[in-house]
Amino acid sequence: MLHLLKIEWLKIKYYRTFWILSALFALSLYGVNEIVYTAQHNAFASAPQAQMLIGTPPFQFPEVWHTISYVSSYLLFFPGLIIIILMTNEFSYKTHRQNIIDGLSRTQFIYVKMMLCVLIALVSTIIVGLVAFFFGMYENAAAFSFQNVQYIGMFFIQTLSYTAVALVIATLFRRSGIAIGIYFLYAEILDQLLSLAASHYLNNAGQYFPLESNDNLIPFPLFKNAKEQIIEPANVTYMLIAAAVYLAIYFFVCKRKMETADL
Amino acid sequence: MNVLSIQNLSKQYGAIQALRNVSFEVPEGSVFGILGPNGSGKTTLLGIVLNILKASSGTVLFYDQPLTNDIRKNIGTLLETPNFYHYLSAERNLAIAAEIKEKGKENIDAVLQQVNLYERKKSRFNTYSLGMKQRLAIASALLGNPDVLIFDEPTNGLDPVGIAEIRDLIKRLAATGKTIIMASHLLDEVEKVCTHVAILKKGTLLTAGAVDEVLQTEDIAEVAATNMQALANTLQTMNSYTSMSKNETVIQLKYPAGTANLEAINQYCFNKGIVLNHLQLKKKSLETKFLELTNQ
Repeated sequence: MLHLLKIEWLKIKYYRTFWILSALFALSLYGVNEIVYTAQHNAFASAPQAQMLIGTPPFQFPEVWHTISYVSSYLLFFPGLIIIILMTNEFSYKTHRQNIIDGLSRTQFIYVKMMLCVLIALVSTIIVGLVAFFFGMYENAAAFSFQNVQYIGMFFIQTLSYTAVALVIATLFRRSGIAIGIYFLYAEILDQLLSLAASHYLNNAGQYFPLESNDNLIPFPLFKNAKEQIIEPANVTYMLIAAAVYLAIYFFVCKRKMETADL
Repeated sequence: MNVLSIQNLSKQYGAIQALRNVSFEVPEGSVFGILGPNGSGKTTLLGIVLNILKASSGTVLFYDQPLTNDIRKNIGTLLETPNFYHYLSAERNLAIAAEIKEKGKENIDAVLQQVNLYERKKSRFNTYSLGMKQRLAIASALLGNPDVLIFDEPTNGLDPVGIAEIRDLIKRLAATGKTIIMASHLLDEVEKVCTHVAILKKGTLLTAGAVDEVLQTEDIAEVAATNMQALANTLQTMNSYTSMSKNETVIQLKYPAGTANLEAINQYCFNKGIVLNHLQLKKKSLETKFLELTNQ
C-alpha cells in the first residue's frame, strides 16, 4: 500500500501542473466564499429586512459549516479535473503500460488511482473545513460550535463522487480532450437533464441520479424556514445510500476495465 | 531449461487475427530473435507475455510457471516505444521504475552510465532526442541487473554509432549468461547477435530454433574459365555439389552449408585440363533466406 502510494508520489512530486492547479483550487475555495461573504454583508447592511428573510446569519457558527460547504460545492468539478489530468497522462505517455511491464499488477495500478481520488477529496474537504473555521471565527458573533459540521462530511462524499466519476470517464475514454469534455458536460448538464427527465416520467426518481443525488446532500442553506414549507427535503439517508452505491459502481467499472482491456 | 515457453498463443483484434496458434520455446542463456516484417505480430506476442494485452487463447510459461507480476519485476523490458513521464528528468523517471521493480536507487547512476546518459540525467525526458529516449528505455530495462531481458526493436531511432553501441551492449550482456529476447525486423541485427530465432509472418510462426539450423544457408561456389562450355561439361562429371546453375560469365555450384571445398574444385578442373580464371565462395545472405521464408 505505502509502496503504491510512494510510486504515485514520485509521479506527482515534481509535476508542476498539478501543484499550480491545486494551489489555485485552494485559493478559489477561499475566494468563492469571500465573494459570497462580501455580498451577504453588503446585503445585510443596505437592507435590514434581508436578515429577517434569511434567518440566522449564514457565516456565523453553526450555520457557517453548512454555508461554506454549499458555496464551495460550486467548485466540486475541479478535483475531478485534476484526476482526469493525472489519469489521461498515463495513457498518453503510455506509462500505464510501462508500470505494468515493470511489475505492477493491473489491479494495483487502478487501486492506487482510486486511493488518489479519496486522498484528493480528503484534502479538498480539509481545506473547506479550514475555510469554514476561518470564516466562523472571523464573523465572531457566535461561539464556536461543531453543530452542523456534518455538512463538511457531506462535502467529502460529494467531492469523492466527482473524482470517482472523473476516474471512470478517464479510464473509459483515455484521451484527455474527450475525457475533459465529456466530464464537464456530464457533471454540469447531462446528469441534471437525465435527472429531470427521470423525475418527470418516473415519479421523482431523478433525485437518485448519480450526481444529482450527490448534489442533494447539501441543500441550499438560505431561507430554511420558508423552504421547508414549499419543498420536501431530500431524504439524506437514501441519498447517502445512493452515493455509496454509485461509488461502488464507479470503482467497479474502473477496475473491470483496467483488468480486462488490452492496454 | 526453457526461460519462456509460448504455447498455442492466439490473439484476435476484431476481424484481424494478429497471432495464430504460435508455440515456441526460449532456452536459458540464448539470445533469441523474433523476426518478422512490420505487422507480423512481434509486439503483440511480447505484449501478451508482459500482460498488457490479453491473449484470445494459449498460455505463456516462465520457467514452467505462469508469469506473475513479481516475475515481471525481474525482467528488463523495452516494448515498442520508450514510455516515460515527459515532465520528469531521466533520473526521476528511473526512480519510479526502480520503485515499481523494488530495486534500490543506487542502481540508477550505473545504468545511466551504461547507456551514456549519465551527463544528461537531470534533463527532462521531453528534451531528449529519439535515440536518447531509446537509450533511457534500455537503461530502465537494466535496472536491478535482471537475468532476462526483452527488447522490442532496441535500435529503433538510433544512429549508426548508437546501433553499434547497443549491439555491443547486447553482446556483452549475453556474454554474462543473460537470456535476451529481441524482436526485430532488422535481419542484420539478428544475424549479428542472435543464437536462436523465431520467424513470424502475419501472425503465423514460420519456423523457430537455433540460428544455424533455421537459417541454414548453402554455400555457393562461383567458377569461371575462358571456355565456359568445356568447364560446364567438366563440372558435370564432378558430383559433390547439390545443383549447378550457369549464366554467360559464371557457373554457380551449390553445396550444403560448410561443405564447399574450393581447393578440390580447382584441383579437379586442373586435372581435367581446365584452368579457372575465377573461383569464389559466396554465402547466401540471411536476407535472401528471410525473403524466401516470408514469401512462401
